[in-house]
Amino acid sequence: MDKQLALLQGTLDLLILKAVSLGPLHGYGVLLRIQQISKDSLEIQQGSLYPALYRLEHQGWIVSEWGESENKRKAKYYRLTAAGKRRLLAETKKWNRMSDVIAAILGAAPEEV
Amino acid sequence: MRLWTRLRAWLSATFRRSHLERDMDAELRFHIDTYAAELVQRGVPNSEALRRARIEFGGIDSAKEECREARGVTFLETLLQDLRFGARTLRKSPGFAVTAILTLALGIGSTAAVFSVVNAVLLKPLPYPRPDRIVMPWWAWPVTDLGDDFPWGQRDFVAFQRQVVGFQSVGAFKPDSFNLTGFGDPIRLDGIKASAGFFPALGVAPLIGRTFRAQEEEPGHELEVVLSHSLWLERFGGDPGAIGRSINLNGLSYTVIGVMPPGFVFPRGEEMPIVLGFPRQAQLWIPNPTPLNPAGPQDLAVVGRLKDGVTFEQAFAELQVFGKDREREYPQAAGYFTPRLATLGHQVVGDSRRPLLLLLGAVAVVLLIACSNVANLLLARSLLRGKEFTLRSALGAGRGRLLRQLLVENLLLAITGGFFGTLVAWGGVYFARMFGPSNLPRLHEVTLDLRVFAFALGVACLTGIIFGLPPAFAATREGLVESLKERGPAASASSVRLRSTLVVSQVALALVLVVAAGLLVRTFYSLLRSDAGFNPSRVFTFQLTLPAGKYPDVDAMARVYHAVLQRLQSTPGVQQVGFSSAVPLGGAPDNTGIRIPDRPRTNTKETNPTANYLFATPGYFAAVGTPLLRGRDFTESDIQDSQHVAIITVTMAQKYWPGKDPLGKQVGVGLTRFPLRTIVGIVADTKHTSLSEKSIPEMYVPYTQNEIKVWPNMQTMQVALRTPQDPASMTGDVRRALNAVDPDLPLAKPATLAALVDDSVVQPRFSMLLLASFGGIALLLASIGMYGVISYSVACRTREIGIRMALGAAPRQVFRMVLGQGAHLVAVGIAIGLVASFAVARLMSSFLFGVRPTDPYTYAAVCLLLTLVVLLACYLPARRATRVDPTVALREE
Repeated sequence: MDKQLALLQGTLDLLILKAVSLGPLHGYGVLLRIQQISKDSLEIQQGSLYPALYRLEHQGWIVSEWGESENKRKAKYYRLTAAGKRRLLAETKKWNRMSDVIAAILGAAPEEV
Repeated sequence: MRLWTRLRAWLSATFRRSHLERDMDAELRFHIDTYAAELVQRGVPNSEALRRARIEFGGIDSAKEECREARGVTFLETLLQDLRFGARTLRKSPGFAVTAILTLALGIGSTAAVFSVVNAVLLKPLPYPRPDRIVMPWWAWPVTDLGDDFPWGQRDFVAFQRQVVGFQSVGAFKPDSFNLTGFGDPIRLDGIKASAGFFPALGVAPLIGRTFRAQEEEPGHELEVVLSHSLWLERFGGDPGAIGRSINLNGLSYTVIGVMPPGFVFPRGEEMPIVLGFPRQAQLWIPNPTPLNPAGPQDLAVVGRLKDGVTFEQAFAELQVFGKDREREYPQAAGYFTPRLATLGHQVVGDSRRPLLLLLGAVAVVLLIACSNVANLLLARSLLRGKEFTLRSALGAGRGRLLRQLLVENLLLAITGGFFGTLVAWGGVYFARMFGPSNLPRLHEVTLDLRVFAFALGVACLTGIIFGLPPAFAATREGLVESLKERGPAASASSVRLRSTLVVSQVALALVLVVAAGLLVRTFYSLLRSDAGFNPSRVFTFQLTLPAGKYPDVDAMARVYHAVLQRLQSTPGVQQVGFSSAVPLGGAPDNTGIRIPDRPRTNTKETNPTANYLFATPGYFAAVGTPLLRGRDFTESDIQDSQHVAIITVTMAQKYWPGKDPLGKQVGVGLTRFPLRTIVGIVADTKHTSLSEKSIPEMYVPYTQNEIKVWPNMQTMQVALRTPQDPASMTGDVRRALNAVDPDLPLAKPATLAALVDDSVVQPRFSMLLLASFGGIALLLASIGMYGVISYSVACRTREIGIRMALGAAPRQVFRMVLGQGAHLVAVGIAIGLVASFAVARLMSSFLFGVRPTDPYTYAAVCLLLTLVVLLACYLPARRATRVDPTVALREE
């Protein structure tokens, strides 16, 4: 396994939204899902996850609900709201454009300039 | 959705804070436990797993803090913290807090109370549907000193009804009074004769039954009556079966056809021109039949509702055309048909708008003084707290945080002040309702309503922000190092200047208010002292209205009046008795055009001479105490067959016979078919509607020489009797005397002449009292402000004073120095205030009577008073300055 990548500033929110969009998750589950999808290549500070979750909830993009976890314990589950879905879509588009632009810039050869 | 979620989070964060904390703990614990369990699965020993999990999670407390912040409630939490802290600091300096809160409460409270009155009288819509569509047309008085609104005649109204198109409905109405008999003691009721369009024009439907139909305007259908709600309750106990029953009014049987909803008493007397003599409240309405030959006096008020889409201007244009038509039809009455049109709102409020605006202005000044006083207090306080703030910012408090802290403290003050102010306002409104002038329109509707409360609170918060912030900036502006190095309270020159400016403006504003109050006080006393042309002490008056059916003609009326007069003359305790159409301050008499044969019209533009025309009995002038200046009084021998005589007033003599002797001259009513009268006496002018009215020509004729028969109405006379006893105790004897003549004779409006005088000055007295109390508050506030500034400056100059005294200054010199500082501020304030007062007094001149706006005595007295009061406020700090011990003062540094 390669060394883990540090998370880019501001991308955690996007990742959480994406993770939650695949189905309701509790906080730990969000962490697991991101790690699972990214094949453990992203380093996520566990402590920074919750402020992000609270922030997203406060902004109305996710809502939380108490439920029961796989190990029969009370856990708080987050799921995407309609506004969150729109947000995710918009952010994804923005991200894709941004990464295209950055890639284009970084891939530019001297003769193209 | 988003807003709702946010709001819900915010609310629950505020009110269920511990609950949320528990949730957060549970959530984080779940995370750590689950992670630890996974670590165990991966082979980490049980004892080690939880520790590892915690370490990998990172700082739990900082995560929690970040979560709290992310939840977005930190603002509120710090606000609560600020509030708690602010309340604690205020409690620690009760003197400051109490002064500031009291000052604000007085300022805000009086503003809210006056605003409540203004709101009820001027701003609240009238209780009729779409009141802005209701208008009242009048003619303009051809003689300008008689007031504005000249009533219409029946002919005008009939023509108007036929001709106009811009009105949905028009109704004419006039006052009438009724003796209700058959219900125990005969009582007198105030009623209105109204045409069929009256109720539709106002847009008010009856509570039960119906109002008049158009055919009831035709003669012969007029014996129907609509009752007011209160009369219905009083006489019929609220029984719906009253409809169809009969009541006996003025000896005729009327059928009750409807009852109006509660509160409908249109028109109120105080809302209508005084010349029409409307009662205070209408108790019943009867149809006003259109006579077959609709000539007759100009005694109608008209109310109309505009058609939809017709503007006020269009209606007025139509009215002007109508006026021109009338003038063409009656060229002999040219000049009497200039139309006026008032919206009902204007009509109702009328002259009371201006006194109220005066009060509103005065109370705004009080509020201004109160606020500047609070600003002054806050400024002094924040300077004293300079050290505290410096320390706090040195410990890391941001400027924004400090400002917010101060702002919260000030808002706390303002809101507490606003709360107490609302109590003050509530008391003020109660006071206004209890003691306010009863002729102030709609005073009964005054309540402290929500809008007023919002107004008071808004003013309070605005005060806190406007005056809280500048001192807050001042406190945080100074450089840290400088302030920390400084010893003692920082006395920057700019803050002293700012505070002096505030005090000077307070003195100036207080001067304006007290001058205004002083002028009103002088006005009030010159009203009381004014020569009203009668002697009100120990005179009992009442109104006598004959039952209509019983005394059909003027001779029968004269006979019964004569009988009453004789009976009263022989009543024990009666010194003199007489009656006339109107006793002094008993209402406006009839006015008529007159002719004077030996007075050639010098110029054609001049309008025909007019005069008030009143009946009087022998002895009437002696009874009310009106001096007979020349000639003789009426006697028993002035009868129909003897020479017809008249007594005129001084004003009439001077106006129509300037420089000549009117005795023996001839005068008569305008119409030539009535004979001329010989003037036999001249009496002093008397006031009829108010002590400040301007006298107009007036003539009295004996009640036994009424050759016109139909005019003026002899149905009602006002009786005056002079007695050595307490006049109020006469009611019983007088009632017995009336009963002996005719048991159907009612005794109405019993009063002493002194009470009538009192009633007439209620409004000026109310204005005067209010303005005087505002002036008192202003004085108090200004002296508090002065006290604050001077004692602060003494505190700052302790060291300087110590040095002066060490160098040999006597305590007296120090005393004089401090007092001199105060005197300087007062002098500047007075100079500015005098200039402002002159301007304000000029604006007030229409409220003044018997005193010029530039009355030097008032100004001098007020300046003296203000100087004394304010210097008294300087006295204490000046005394304190003389007690400065030089050694202590110098060592303090």
